[in-house]
Amino acid sequence: MISSEYLIQQIFNGIVFGAMYALLALGMTVIYGILRLIHFAHGALITVGAFSFYLFFMVLGLPFPAAIVLIIALGALMGLVLDVVAYKKAVGGPEVAMLITSLGFYIFIENLMKLIVSPQPYAFHTPEFLDRIYSMPVLTFRTIDIFIVATSVGIMVFFTLFVKRTKMGVAMRATAESGEAARMVGINISRVISISFIIASAIAAITGFMWGAKYGQISYNMGFMAGVKAFVAIVIGGVGSIPGAMLGGFMLGILEMFSVAFLPPGYAAYRDGIVFFILILILIVKPSGILGQKEVE
Amino acid sequence: MPDIKAIFSKVDKRLLAGALIGLLFLCLWAAKAGLSKYVIFIISLIGVYIVAAESLNLTNGYTGLFSLGHAGFMAIGAYTSTLLTFPVKGRDLFVIAKLPVFLGGPEAAWPFLPALIMGGIFAAVVAAIVGLPVLRLRGHYLSVASLGLMVLITALAMNLRDLTRGSIGINSIPTYTNVWWAYIAAVITVYVVWRIVNSSFGRAMKAIREDETAARVQGINPLKYKLLAFTVGAFFAGIAGGLYAHLSGAIRPYAFSFNLTFQIVIMVVIGGQGTIAGPVVGVVILTILRYVLKPLEEALGIYGLVELIYALLLIVTMLRKPEGLAGKRVGDRKVALLR
Amino acid sequence: MLKVEAIDVHYGIIPAVRELSLSVEKGQISTLIGANGAGKTTTLKAIMGTLLPKKGRVWYKGEDVTTVPADRRVGMGFALVPEGRQIFSKLTVKENLGLGAYHRNDREGIRKDQEWIYGLFPVLQERESQLAGTLSGGEQQMLALGRGLMSHPEFLMLDEPSLGLAPIVVEDIYEVIQEINRSGITILLVEQNINMAMKISNYAYVMETGKIRAEGAADEVMKGENIMKAYLGE
Repeated sequence: MISSEYLIQQIFNGIVFGAMYALLALGMTVIYGILRLIHFAHGALITVGAFSFYLFFMVLGLPFPAAIVLIIALGALMGLVLDVVAYKKAVGGPEVAMLITSLGFYIFIENLMKLIVSPQPYAFHTPEFLDRIYSMPVLTFRTIDIFIVATSVGIMVFFTLFVKRTKMGVAMRATAESGEAARMVGINISRVISISFIIASAIAAITGFMWGAKYGQISYNMGFMAGVKAFVAIVIGGVGSIPGAMLGGFMLGILEMFSVAFLPPGYAAYRDGIVFFILILILIVKPSGILGQKEVE
Repeated sequence: MPDIKAIFSKVDKRLLAGALIGLLFLCLWAAKAGLSKYVIFIISLIGVYIVAAESLNLTNGYTGLFSLGHAGFMAIGAYTSTLLTFPVKGRDLFVIAKLPVFLGGPEAAWPFLPALIMGGIFAAVVAAIVGLPVLRLRGHYLSVASLGLMVLITALAMNLRDLTRGSIGINSIPTYTNVWWAYIAAVITVYVVWRIVNSSFGRAMKAIREDETAARVQGINPLKYKLLAFTVGAFFAGIAGGLYAHLSGAIRPYAFSFNLTFQIVIMVVIGGQGTIAGPVVGVVILTILRYVLKPLEEALGIYGLVELIYALLLIVTMLRKPEGLAGKRVGDRKVALLR
Repeated sequence: MLKVEAIDVHYGIIPAVRELSLSVEKGQISTLIGANGAGKTTTLKAIMGTLLPKKGRVWYKGEDVTTVPADRRVGMGFALVPEGRQIFSKLTVKENLGLGAYHRNDREGIRKDQEWIYGLFPVLQERESQLAGTLSGGEQQMLALGRGLMSHPEFLMLDEPSLGLAPIVVEDIYEVIQEINRSGITILLVEQNINMAMKISNYAYVMETGKIRAEGAADEVMKGENIMKAYLGE
């Protein structure tokens, strides 16, 4: 009944979406690992990244590489701003306070975007070379799909190397394990946190571009679901584990594609709901996720 | 200058409360007689929101959880009560399911109060089912899981078209809710929350909020109390949803989205989590603000201005006065870390 | 070298340390002893900078460092080997040691120190690439000590280094502590195992419920009655 071509196509789609979820999950887990905070505002960076690209590439007509570099820089900057304005004060206080502040910032940015760009979605155009379609006997895909997967994998590899080989990377891992012990060896926690925000936000910004390119349209609230699903990905893969976040992202992408593909038509609107159903299922069965360790309460 | 505090503590609190409530209903009666329908609508809405906010306060404010699913429970209450009360004649016209035999049969429509309560109960049951596994875990999981629950419920509302008419929603709901219903419900909610908070349950909840590990050491089982707070909160959210449905006369899945949850969360936080008066203050101020700004929004064509201001107020509150307008500073930084 | 002047340190709202003064001479080993909950760890944390005293001052080499953040104090020559080791269990032994030298830039010096530490604790070199969490208790203590030494401190604090370790391991650790001291590092020791601590110390302080009850040359204090009183909580 289901042809193998259809299956392969769906798995491929799942991988593409999964690659994006994995990147978002990566950024989120870095911040969660160090601050124990679900950075709700992370989703907003996707929106900002996508719309900035729109501005730089489509409105201002800048060349593609320049636009990409600019949105990464913008994302990094925004991450730093969020760190300084939103979280610096809340660290050390009740966890719930940080959650609420994070949420507040997300809502603020989302509504600001709504104000600036209008509630209507925009059509998103990418450079022509990303739009070429390749039709193979088993699979059909566009260049953008390759771009997304390649960039994601590249970023993930780069990040893993960073975290294992560089002094700051090791410091980040240490801080994630114990902030107090990290300070005792002379690590400046403030700086580690700031750098985490910068890296995570820059990644989110470029993911915003990819998201827009894949869906073909962008809207002021595109970041919300993406951000929350990133957290689901983290839970699936295992909270507190960087490879877990990436694994979780890919799995989420594939699972989501599968459920959309195999459900009777008309149930496609359940797509988001299914993602959360999976979340609740995992929380019941194995809350520490696939690769995670039991979290200390 | 007379010592007000001394006098105050001597006055029988119950008498005072009774007097205030009496005053409230007197004002409502005057309002109903004198003010425009639109204003009366807003006043009723405030009452409904108080039910929602005060109940969220139980979960978020007093127990220290962070539930984002309140709108989902309101949706459950809204749809349940609507499906029960919808007049029989209208069901054919609007293509709404008739009631099965065990609920009264195809010729039946429930009266308002039982339908409301049913809505609340259903919401509470769902809360209990979801809460049981999720509340064991760290607080963040509850936030995302409750958010997810809300999304799930909204998705169901949109897709179970035979039951809910999908994204079109249900119109022409009998508008049973008026100021009296709204405010009696509000007073009851506040009273119930007040009773819980000032009982041994409440003390346990506060202990959990302060320091869960310490509470456990004292023999308090966090799951039991979190579940209680969550479920009772959901019950009243369901009631609020039912009241809302019968106030506005129409419900659509989209009305119960994240936006609604966020509004209620903001009202609780800005008003003051963890206090009884806080949510009431938050609801009144923010609702009035919304309806004052609405004409401005329309005149300038800036949609989303209200939400923007809400978010800004939330941020400012969290950064400047996190205990909210009516709140007292709770606890303190555990250890003076130099960041 | 280090002088603590009448500090009050609070743990949350509880005053854990009150009006505490002590000083450690350069090149010496001083010990802080007392029963559980006397406030010894809190005192060390205040000296290290991970806790901020509500009152009083901390002086280091004549400089007021009371409000200097912990990570900066490491650069000034402080090091703390904390209670319970607090090594980074998800990082390797080598990475843990490397982090000890986080604030340093002198590659040659770092290399020499690493060699010295491997000399003191050969087992750490053997287990270089293992995750620190897989080490035994004694090995973790050595790692914690090694990590502290990697910062090339002048003033080293040790919080209950013998906790949970077998007696023979404790002897080894204490030999190393003496050797470290001989190399010129000033040491402030907190211990419940008073015998070992007193054997190697020059000076001792006895703490009880947040205050210093007695102090003096180590052997004097050992003989005195105060120590018994503090321990038995009289």
